[in-house]
Amino acid sequence: MTIAAQLRDVSQVFGDFTAVDGINLDIESSKLTTLLGPSGCGKTTTLRMLAGYAQPTSGSILINGKDATRLPPEKRNLGMVFQSYALFPHMTVADNVGYGLKLRKVPAPERRKRVAEALDMVGLGHLADRRPKALSGGQQQRVALARAIAIRPDILLLDEPLSNLDARLRLQMRAEIRRIQQETGLTVVLVTHDQEEALEMSDVMVLMRSGHIMQQGTPQDVFERPANRFVAEFMGYENFFATSEHPQATVRPENLQLLERGATLNSGAHNLPAVITQIAYRGVDVMVRATATDASGTAVDLLAAVRADSGLASGIRLEPGSEITAAIRPADLVPLAN
Amino acid sequence: MSIRLAIPKPTMQKTGGRPVLGTLAVIGYVVMIVPILFVVAAAFSGGDSLQFPPENFSLKWFGAAVSYKPFMSALASSAQLAVLATLLALVIGVPAALALQRSNFAGKGWVQGLFLSPLIVPELVVGLALYQQLIAGLGTSTFTALLVGHTALLIPYAVRVTGAALSLADPFVEEAARGLGAGPFKVFTSVTLPLLRPGIVSAALLSFVTSFNNVPLSLLLQGRNFSTLPVSMLDYVQKSYDPMIAAMSTLILAATIVFAFIAERAVGFATIFGGINK
Ligand SMILES: Nc1ncnc2c1ncn2[C@@H]1O[C@H](COP(=O)(O)OP(=O)(O)OP(=O)(O)O)[C@@H](O)[C@H]1O
Ligand SMILES: [Mg+2]
Repeated sequence: MTIAAQLRDVSQVFGDFTAVDGINLDIESSKLTTLLGPSGCGKTTTLRMLAGYAQPTSGSILINGKDATRLPPEKRNLGMVFQSYALFPHMTVADNVGYGLKLRKVPAPERRKRVAEALDMVGLGHLADRRPKALSGGQQQRVALARAIAIRPDILLLDEPLSNLDARLRLQMRAEIRRIQQETGLTVVLVTHDQEEALEMSDVMVLMRSGHIMQQGTPQDVFERPANRFVAEFMGYENFFATSEHPQATVRPENLQLLERGATLNSGAHNLPAVITQIAYRGVDVMVRATATDASGTAVDLLAAVRADSGLASGIRLEPGSEITAAIRPADLVPLAN
Repeated sequence: MSIRLAIPKPTMQKTGGRPVLGTLAVIGYVVMIVPILFVVAAAFSGGDSLQFPPENFSLKWFGAAVSYKPFMSALASSAQLAVLATLLALVIGVPAALALQRSNFAGKGWVQGLFLSPLIVPELVVGLALYQQLIAGLGTSTFTALLVGHTALLIPYAVRVTGAALSLADPFVEEAARGLGAGPFKVFTSVTLPLLRPGIVSAALLSFVTSFNNVPLSLLLQGRNFSTLPVSMLDYVQKSYDPMIAAMSTLILAATIVFAFIAERAVGFATIFGGINK
């Protein structure tokens, strides 16, 4: 495993507000790393420090093992795609993509070849002579991507590149960025606040909250074993309760079993007496809300997603007021640190 | 002076779909434009008095205007003054617009106010102040005082119009250029300047026209052997009232329309006036 970039104890302070608070992060080569977290948690600030647009207040940044903390952006050879795309309006698509190559004094024939390559990679070869203004949002986004890739950057940095696109295009671009990354073996750092996007695209997910890294790992690590309640909530967990062994644990709504009151799941399962409070039919499944009493005696709200026909199978009435048992198999229980 | 009136015409396109507003706008334009048409028509008169309809068709008053010495020397003075004041206003205003648009610094609002204040302070006050300080106080020439006054008058236009062109651009394009390997100077020449160019062109045109047409400052600061074209025309009207003045006005009007047309081609009126009213 090679490391393309390292952040060491990096902080960014604006006035008396600490936007990034002493984070340590290794960016692995040829992998797609996402920085994920709610608005204002410091994702963009972190990316801008990596790119050289902002200087860390303290700490250091290494790129390819060399200290780059004070290096200006033009000396870092990183490709950045801005959320607004930031295309040069006075240049054609081809000139936008060739801009970085021209600065690198790549001879014209070679430059044309590489511009064409980059544009083909994003499927825009036929629009080389257009101006950015004459392109759709999705096309502009691809030009920005091609422009960043054309310089063969050591790391490609993407700040919420898909947030201005409509839902369908967004799904398509996720796959496309992933394909390009895997074909070229590029190191990519992608900022997003969409957990689904991060799960789908990442090799490594980095979850941030108020300037701190809360968890880092593969999408499976993070999704199946969230380290704490914040990560669990961000990953869509809804049920939080205490068991006899764990002061805080969670289970996904689709893994919460609903049984007749008095019935229990066998062998080490956790059984909580519960009363259904609300039912919402959603076609494939039914969302069932219930209140239960957990191992510490506290009343907790639970949410279960059950197959529409399973109420019949387990013999319970799916209606408010119905007394049931909410059961969790040991394998589905996710213990959380506080 | 009929010159400024020619400019706002194209904003008419916005009134479609609102009958009352549209009608008012049309009335407004008619009120502004009809008198101009009378002046233009009178300029082609073959008679000796300024009247409508003109007695018969002739270009003789255009010939008279062009060969009337005081007008021509005033025209040269006006052009010289307008060109220099425009250049000075751009030299000061463009960097100011850049600084105001692209950076945040302590007292930014205050600086902005300073650069735009000549739009608010009555020109007569500025003229009197300049007269007292420069001509009466320091004994500078009429031309220097006029140049200072006109430059001050034009700076807000330069700041606003170039600022408007810049504010339409994505604020991250310069960062994008740096990320692609351009140093600060290269970013300026290859990205910032091309983005500014339409703004600079229209600021220059607008400044030139504004200076060229200015009466209050020029009236206060004129000297015995230096007066601008509008002032000299004003003088002329006080003495005699023949179609020559209409011919001269028509010539200026024609030149202004050409100017406005170039400006519209360069950036569009939305940018120019959006910048001023922002
Ligand atoms: N130049 C600045 N001056 C002061 N505060 C700033 C500055 N830039 C960012 N911040 C603050 O730092 C925090 C982190 O900002 P950042 O842009 O990194 O968030 P983010 O995670 O990218 O959020 P989003 O998802 O909304 O883009 C925010 O609270 C923001 O208000
Ligand atoms: Mg952000």
